[in-house]
Amino acid sequence: MDGPDIGWYLIVAALLFGIGALGVMMRRSPLIVLLSTEIMLNAANLTLIAFARQQGDLDGQIFALAVMAVAAAEVAIGLGLIVAMARRRIVLDVDQASALRG
Amino acid sequence: MIDTPTVDWLALSPSVALLGASGVALLAAVIVPDWMRKSVAAGVVLIGFVLAAVLAGVVFDETPTPEVLLDGSMVRDRIAALTQVILAVTGAVVVLASWAERRRDNHGEYYALLAAAGAGMVFFVSADNLMTLFLGLEWFSLCLYILVALDTERATSLEAGLKYLIVGGFGSAVLLFGSAFVYGATGELGFAEIAAANPTDDVFLLAGLAMILAGLAFKVSAAPFHMWTPDVYQGAPTSVTAFMSAATKAAAMVVMLRVLVTAFPDQSEIWTIAVAVLVCISLAWGNLAALAQRDVKRLLAYSSISHAGFMLMAIAADSERGAEALLYYLVPYSAMSVGAFAVVAVRERELQRPVTLESLAGLGWERPFYGIAMWTFMLGMAGFPLTGGLFGKLFVFSAAYDSGDWWLVLIGVAATAVSLGYYLNVVRWMYMRAGGELRLAPAGGSPPTDPALGVAIGAAVLVTVGSFFAAQPILDAAADAAASLPF
Repeated sequence: MDGPDIGWYLIVAALLFGIGALGVMMRRSPLIVLLSTEIMLNAANLTLIAFARQQGDLDGQIFALAVMAVAAAEVAIGLGLIVAMARRRIVLDVDQASALRG
Repeated sequence: MIDTPTVDWLALSPSVALLGASGVALLAAVIVPDWMRKSVAAGVVLIGFVLAAVLAGVVFDETPTPEVLLDGSMVRDRIAALTQVILAVTGAVVVLASWAERRRDNHGEYYALLAAAGAGMVFFVSADNLMTLFLGLEWFSLCLYILVALDTERATSLEAGLKYLIVGGFGSAVLLFGSAFVYGATGELGFAEIAAANPTDDVFLLAGLAMILAGLAFKVSAAPFHMWTPDVYQGAPTSVTAFMSAATKAAAMVVMLRVLVTAFPDQSEIWTIAVAVLVCISLAWGNLAALAQRDVKRLLAYSSISHAGFMLMAIAADSERGAEALLYYLVPYSAMSVGAFAVVAVRERELQRPVTLESLAGLGWERPFYGIAMWTFMLGMAGFPLTGGLFGKLFVFSAAYDSGDWWLVLIGVAATAVSLGYYLNVVRWMYMRAGGELRLAPAGGSPPTDPALGVAIGAAVLVTVGSFFAAQPILDAAADAAASLPF
C-alpha cells in the first residue's frame, strides 16, 4: 500500500478522539460540546476507514458512511435543542445548567 | 443480475409494525383535525405495540434454532424475540400511562417518537454485527433525546434533553471507537466472526472490548457511567422516564450479554471481572445515593442504577443460568419500573409540581388503588415475596454463586438490605402521614379520572405479582431463549 503507514492514521484518530473527549469535559458552551462529540465520532470514522484500507475490505467504509448519517441526525437534534433553549433565554452554559441536581 | 439477499420479513415484522405505526401517527399529527389528533395517534401506536408483541411471540414460537439474517447483520433467535415481547408490552403500557399527560401540543409527535424508539430497540436486540449494533443504538437514542426534551415549555425538560444528548453522544462515540478497534484487530464486524478470528492478547481487541463495554454501560446506566441518569429521569416527562427506565435498560442489557458472550468468549476472564466491578460500584453508589433523595423520580433513578447492578451480576456469571436469570429479572423489573413512574405521574398531574417524598404524603389513604400499587412496586423492587422481584434476585444470586462469584452475592444481599431503607421510606410517607397535616391538598380539588392510567398501573401490578406465581413458565421461556446463546 502506498502512502503513510496505518500507524499514522491511528495516531491522528487518537489525537482527534482525545481532543473531542477533552472538549466535552472542559468546554462550557453546549455548541462547542456538541461539536466535540462530532469530532469524537469522526475520529472513529477515520479509524474505521484506515483499518478498512489496511484489510482491503469494504465493511469499514460502509460503516463510516452510516456513521456520518447518524452524526448529522445527532447534530440536527442538538442544534434544535440549543435553539429551543436560546428562545426561552436559558443561559447557554453547561456549567450553569443545574436546575436538575440532588 | 445482482444478488439480492433474501429478507426474512417475519423476523423484521415487530420492527416494521412499530415503524408503520410511527409513520401513521406522524401523518396523523399533520392531517387529522386537532380534536381527534391525540386519540388517533395514541390508538395507532397502541395497536402497533400490541401487534409487535404478538409478532415477536410468533417469532419466538417459530424459531427453535437461531438463524442469521441479511448477510450476518441480524439474527433471528429466541432471546431477541423474548426481549422484543418485553419491550413491546412495556411500550403498550407506557402509551396507556401517557394518555392523560398534560401537554400543550405535540401529541402526534410524542406517540410517533415513542413507536420509533420502540422500533429501534426491537431492531437493536436482534443486531448481530457491530454496525447494526451501533445503528440500532443510535436509532432509539435519537428518538429518546427528542422525547426527553419534548415539553419545551419546561426548562428542566430541555436541560435534561441536552444533558442526555451530550452524555449519550459521548457514550456512543466511545462505543464506536471501540468497534473500530475490534474491527481493526479482527477484520470482522459480525459477532461470531470476531470470536472465530480469535487474535490472542491483541491490545486493539482489548481496548475495543473495554470501550464497547463502557459505551453500553452508559446506556444501561451502570455506575460509574450513570451521572446522566438522575438528571434525565427527573427532567424528562414522567411517561418518557417510565419508558426509558424499563425498555432502554432491558434492550441494552440483553445486547450487552449477547455481544460479550458471542463476540468475546475467549476474553471472558477479563470482561467478567470488568462487569463485576461495574456491579459493585452500581450497587454501592445507586443504593447509598438513593437514601439521600427527596425527589421521587430521582430516588427511582438511583434505584434503577442499583437494579442495573443486579442485572449485570447475571451477565458477570457468564453462564446459561445467568442469561436465564437476566431474562427473568427483566419481566418484573420492567413492570415495577413502569408502574412506579406511572404512580408518580398520577401525583404529578394532581399537584402540578414535581413529586417529592413530602408530596406523596397521604396518597395511600386518598387513592387506595394507587397506594396499594406503589406499595407492591416498592416491596417488589426490594425483593419481597409475592412479587417477581424476589425470584428475580434469587435467580441472579444463584447464577452468580454457581459461577463462583460468592462475594458478589454477599454484596448483593447487603445492597438489598440497604435498599429497604428507601423503598420502605416511600411506603412510610404514603401511609404514615395524612395530607392535611402537611397542607398539601391537591391543587384544584380532585383530579380528572384517568381510566387509561389505571389500566396501565393495574397491568403493571398484575405482571409484578403474576411473575411470582407464574415464575416457572417465565423461567422456561427464559431458558429456551438463553439456549440460543453459545455458552
